Amino acid sequence: MEAIKNFINACAVPSRMFPVIVLLFFFVFPVNSFFEKYNKLFFLDRLWTKKGGIFLFSTLTMFLSIGMLDENFRHTVSKPDNLPIVGLIYASLFFLWVALSQARENDLRLEKNEKPKEWHDSQEKILVWPDLVSIELIAMLFALGFLFTWGILVDAPLEEPANLATSPNPAKAPWYFLALQEMLVYFDPALAGVIFPTLIVVGLMAIPYIDNNHKATGYYTFKERKLAITIFLFGWIILWLFMMVIGTILRGPNWNFYGPFEYWDPHKVEALTNINLSEYLYVIGLNMGLPGNIFIREAPGIFLISLYFIGGGFLLTKTVFKNLFKSLGPLRYSFFLVLLLFATSLPIKMTLRWLFNLKYIVSIPEFFFNI
Amino acid sequence: MSKEKVTRRVFVSWIFLGWTLFLACLGGLGTMLLRYLFPNVLFEPSQSFKAGYPENYAVGEVSLLWKSKHGVWIVRTAEGLYALSAVCTHLGCTPNWLSGEKKFKCPCHGSGFRFSGINFEGPAPRPLERFKILLGDDGQILVDKTKKFQQEKGEWNDPASFLAI
Amino acid sequence: MLDKLKKLLENIRQTQFVRSIFRMGGGFPRDVRQRMFVMLNNFFMHLHPVRIPKHAIKIKYTWCMGGLSFFIFLVLAVTGMLLMFYYRPTVEFAYGDVMDMNEQVPLGIMREIHRWGAHLMIITVWLHMFRVFMTGSYKPPREFNWVIGVILLLLTMLLSFTGYLLPWDQLAIWGISVGSNMAAASPFAGTEGPGASLLKIGSINFVHKGADARFVLIAGRFIGEAALVRFYVLHCVVLPFTIMIFMAVHFWRVRKDGGISKPL
Repeated sequence: MEAIKNFINACAVPSRMFPVIVLLFFFVFPVNSFFEKYNKLFFLDRLWTKKGGIFLFSTLTMFLSIGMLDENFRHTVSKPDNLPIVGLIYASLFFLWVALSQARENDLRLEKNEKPKEWHDSQEKILVWPDLVSIELIAMLFALGFLFTWGILVDAPLEEPANLATSPNPAKAPWYFLALQEMLVYFDPALAGVIFPTLIVVGLMAIPYIDNNHKATGYYTFKERKLAITIFLFGWIILWLFMMVIGTILRGPNWNFYGPFEYWDPHKVEALTNINLSEYLYVIGLNMGLPGNIFIREAPGIFLISLYFIGGGFLLTKTVFKNLFKSLGPLRYSFFLVLLLFATSLPIKMTLRWLFNLKYIVSIPEFFFNI
Repeated sequence: MSKEKVTRRVFVSWIFLGWTLFLACLGGLGTMLLRYLFPNVLFEPSQSFKAGYPENYAVGEVSLLWKSKHGVWIVRTAEGLYALSAVCTHLGCTPNWLSGEKKFKCPCHGSGFRFSGINFEGPAPRPLERFKILLGDDGQILVDKTKKFQQEKGEWNDPASFLAI
Repeated sequence: MLDKLKKLLENIRQTQFVRSIFRMGGGFPRDVRQRMFVMLNNFFMHLHPVRIPKHAIKIKYTWCMGGLSFFIFLVLAVTGMLLMFYYRPTVEFAYGDVMDMNEQVPLGIMREIHRWGAHLMIITVWLHMFRVFMTGSYKPPREFNWVIGVILLLLTMLLSFTGYLLPWDQLAIWGISVGSNMAAASPFAGTEGPGASLLKIGSINFVHKGADARFVLIAGRFIGEAALVRFYVLHCVVLPFTIMIFMAVHFWRVRKDGGISKPL
């Protein structure tokens, strides 16, 4: 048992778990025929059948209930403020399955040139009184009952009185902000706290104006909107939910990383000496001091950033997004590309941090400008 | 009654003037409303305090005496004293002094600072700030938090940021 | 006996008073015509259309998440108002008042329902958005309603943020610390943000500790009483008011953009 726990703890380190999850993601949600082949080969498309659903649920429940036997795991998960995230993990998995099982059903119909399931239903009109209002009443009563039960069973948490002299260790925001808080580890506050959240909101708002595939409204499908759904799910599952779970369950004292079954030892020492790119280049690489001129010092970083946005953009346009560029047109496409490059910069920066302890690519603390 | 003929040019310029005035007033009102959010008078506690006599501080130690009340660590080195701000330069949490590991560690996002206040790990973008420190007439140390010194601007060389003994 | 009761009810229904309240006369709708009139002649029912396509009542399609978000918002509004009776937004009293809410008041689970309701609303709002995306319901003509939906999502998160600051416990004060320092890091508008140091004439900085984004948020250079009042007003007045306006537009646009999305 201990060996298994230690194994899971070792696997759960983000630098190991993250690449695996990302890779798995692309096989589970195949965006092109290459991934589709392997998706079929490993029976991953069966996840969205009834049996697949039962498999997903029993796996998650088994992991959680066996995990609950462990004291450290129980301690983290059963904190009153963390209960909703356990609920959210279940709910998001359940509704992912609900959406994709219907998408699978509809995709099979569409392959046979049939109309989607919802089309048949939508042909018939019904009266709102009493058919809809009765359902709404039941839903409201159910929600109210649920809230009252929850309220009676679990007390709302209240921490120690406010004290500016001692930060709690770890000082965590509620679970719904922990994906943002996790970003703060890798980026400067201006980027992680202001610019990225703004871009998330702007990016979400831009979705209907960027996606010009006007088919597939009003029914669940995957095959007709592969790229749109894959990108959205990548953001929702990997960059939001997964980061949130890491922040809630796997971050402990001093914001160090702890495995799910690891004791939260506040004295755990992690050698985390982060180095800027300019220091790598001038101090370690060329064995000289940092240049006094800010722009000479940061030129390599600025070059890399522009290479990422301009060169990377060009490369993507010429290769994988060749057809997309044609179908979206230049304006839509450039918005899409910029937003996408910003979104992917997060996992890239995370990887650079894990591999090279890279702190900032461009670091100008004199002007509070760090990337 | 004489009817003056209003030409197109005159009409357009009056319209233009009218709109300009209207928008200017609106802009002025907006600015004032925004300004309303910035109070003129602040009811905030005094920002300087007396920190006892220099002999009270042992060489090579970080004093936690003034941390909870004033958010300041007083550090004594062989050369003298400096007052470090107990506010993380990342997002303002209060780091803890870990005497075993000889570092300040911020619990919020894991920034670490050395004895001197220089950042070396975690996300903090710059070193901790130092406050103005001087010896008062009564021989007591006086820390003035309204004046701060930032290492990355080269301000730690300022004599007011360090009390030589 | 039953006939007499029926007759009595009918007589009450026909009184001037009842007829003036219910435009229909208050009877239980029995045929199709009456069922349609119920929806048309009642202000609250009027949010809904009279007839809808059948897939719109399938839980499998709608997940009921949008409606539940609205309902939980109403629950939060009611419990929030009840909590306001016993809460004083001052550094001295806030924590104690919140602590007393469980003990010194009958039905002392209002704070629980408010707190857990807020968590639940975040989940339902997220899942509503997920459903709308997965059914492609943001596509024309519903693009702008999606934009309003994103604003509602943002407002929900801001309401949660300002809400957990009010008990003035450790979570609150460190939430404010981190949040307000993020504001201080905003480009040009915050003292610690990129570009702010460029906004100056000679040695006079336009953006300094006494005038930046952080200062507006916490109404001072340090976190204290003024910050608590500011977040209290935001949480209890400004944000609920704003979110209600956007909700009204959201619901109105659902109807105007052709009701629930359906396959063409």
